[in-house]
Amino acid sequence: MKNTILAAIVIAACAGCAAPERSRALNDPAIPPLALVQQVCSNCHGLDGNAPSSNFPRLAAQPPAYVVAQLKAFRSHGRSDPAGFEYMWGLSRHLSDAQIDGIAAYFAAQAPLPNPSHADAALVARGREIFDKGVAARELPPCASCHGDRGQGKDGFPRLAGQHADYVMKQLNVFYATEQRPEGAVMKVIAHKLEAADMPAVAAYVQSQAGS
Amino acid sequence: MRESKSECAAGNLQAVRHATFLLLAVLLSWSLQAHAIPAFNRQTGQNCVACHAGGQFPDLTPYGRIFKLTGYTIGEHALPLAAMAVASVNKTQKTSSPDPAFDERAGFPKDGNLIFQTASVFLAGRITNNLGAFVQVTYNNYDAQSPSDSHWVGHTSSDNLDLRYADRYFSPGSDFIFGATMNNNPTVQDPWNSVPAWGYNTVPGSSGPGTTPLIAGGLAQNVAGWGGYVFWNRTIYAELTGYRTANGVWSFMSQGFNTQRGDMQIVKGTNPYWRLALAHEWGPHSAMVGTYGMDARVFPDPTDPAGSTNHFRDAAIDAQYQYILDPHAVTVTATYIHEKVDYADSVAGQPHPLDPDGTLGLPLTNSSDTLRMFRAKATYAYHARFGGSLSYFDVSGTSNPALQTSAFDPANPGQLLEGSEGVTGNLAGNPGTRAWTAGAFWTPVQYARVGLEYTAFTRFNGASTNYDGFGRNARDNNTVFLYVWGAF
Repeated sequence: MKNTILAAIVIAACAGCAAPERSRALNDPAIPPLALVQQVCSNCHGLDGNAPSSNFPRLAAQPPAYVVAQLKAFRSHGRSDPAGFEYMWGLSRHLSDAQIDGIAAYFAAQAPLPNPSHADAALVARGREIFDKGVAARELPPCASCHGDRGQGKDGFPRLAGQHADYVMKQLNVFYATEQRPEGAVMKVIAHKLEAADMPAVAAYVQSQAGS
Repeated sequence: MRESKSECAAGNLQAVRHATFLLLAVLLSWSLQAHAIPAFNRQTGQNCVACHAGGQFPDLTPYGRIFKLTGYTIGEHALPLAAMAVASVNKTQKTSSPDPAFDERAGFPKDGNLIFQTASVFLAGRITNNLGAFVQVTYNNYDAQSPSDSHWVGHTSSDNLDLRYADRYFSPGSDFIFGATMNNNPTVQDPWNSVPAWGYNTVPGSSGPGTTPLIAGGLAQNVAGWGGYVFWNRTIYAELTGYRTANGVWSFMSQGFNTQRGDMQIVKGTNPYWRLALAHEWGPHSAMVGTYGMDARVFPDPTDPAGSTNHFRDAAIDAQYQYILDPHAVTVTATYIHEKVDYADSVAGQPHPLDPDGTLGLPLTNSSDTLRMFRAKATYAYHARFGGSLSYFDVSGTSNPALQTSAFDPANPGQLLEGSEGVTGNLAGNPGTRAWTAGAFWTPVQYARVGLEYTAFTRFNGASTNYDGFGRNARDNNTVFLYVWGAF
């Protein structure tokens, strides 16, 4: 009994002295966005947003409006692609709007790093052609028209420069084959205008972009 | 492999079958309910794949390792309860023996029967910002057989326990995690899956080596350990933990184990465990090379913990490689453990077990031994749904008359001594056992896994052929193992 009381006191003391700036609590609006970024987001997306693993998207220099929209779409289950619901639904479910804004602002301010790949030069060149000029015969607009001439993104249109090709491929397939990202419905039309060989070309090219 | 008690009564078997089907039905229904998820799932809201490579518990992803090292505290407070259960069938290649004293049904009482093997309850999750717990209590449905009517008797006991306090500081160029662990099984606190507590034979009831180094489960749930660790820049991990007997006020870590049952060891004083690992992540790859070990003094007779002790010095190296890029997940682990044991006075130089009077002139038992164990495992999972694994272990070491449970009569060459054992016998007095295991699994929903494993022994009790003196070969122990493993 003595031990139980002692343990309860120690636990209560620890709970009391826990610092919010190093908290990993995901349902407390008092936790500052920087703490969430450091303690949680950075585990997969990297502390500077340059996710080292291609299993997770890079967020460095991502337009804040895009990150805010995605986090809110995860939170509301509006975005339901596997990467979304497997990893992000839970993490975002009780984030406050202010925390989401803070997280987006943090990543927007990070410097993007080059993302070298071993993609075939001809593939990258083909991707560049589509990105810059589109394919008029198929009424496929250039990616640059929304994502920026250097793939830097703007407002709700994500930055693609330096993004992992694997992630871009997966998302293009999500747009093409599913209704799991309704907020990106415009991309469904685009994805259907891309031929099978175009997707890896565009994905390889955007990964190679410096974006600035 | 061989059970020491007599046969399972038919009525009991029937009850067990009913229980198994009931269990499967419950598992299926629970798994189809979105809210019925394990404790950590509820806490983070994430799928199994976030922390477990390809969704295959217990293999941890890089994120899963951070989740563990930061004290299971990411997320929010949630119902900290979860459960898992295993139903399985085990079929051994050959269950008969020319040994007239060998009773096949007693030796392989569960062979070929679908059984509800074990069930566990977990109390796990975030307690405060810095404090978290992983506490497992396990019910073994086939713990022992009643001496009166040979019915199987179940038993509930402590299983793995890990309580942590952790904090994480960031400064320019530095990501510093430090923490304290209180646990009851050396290596259970480790975040990599190459260590004994997590890497191999993790499906309850699966086949593994008989004799293993002390650090490979020899003190599990018998000891209470306190230690500290650091993980710097997700690159260097260092830990030091001391283990003492989990008795007195610490007996909550060894509930269900006691010296009278013969499953509780008593260690002398505080015994150090150390761990150092170098980790690196690049792209979808991650790798680790490390070393760990333990210096432990164990009383040979737990019912009379006095006098000199068996002194174990275990030193190991290990490595892990992982590739995780959805839908592919590959985990490869390997470890090599070297053990030197110096025996207590009451164990060293004792009469041969089959020559207690010394009249036959058989050699006395060793004063020290060396035991080596190598294990490696590769697992691949596709879409967190299908996969397979291949694993290998090789236990080797010095021969010791103390292990000789079969022996030829020196006076009558070719004649086995009275008391020699078929099937479990060890003619060479050598622990050498080697096997390959190939497995395939299917995870129809993230909380349930169906698997099939085949273990092929190429060496057993120090020999590949006639290891028991009765003509039994290592391959006769080859095993097919089918299981359903659910967590909810």
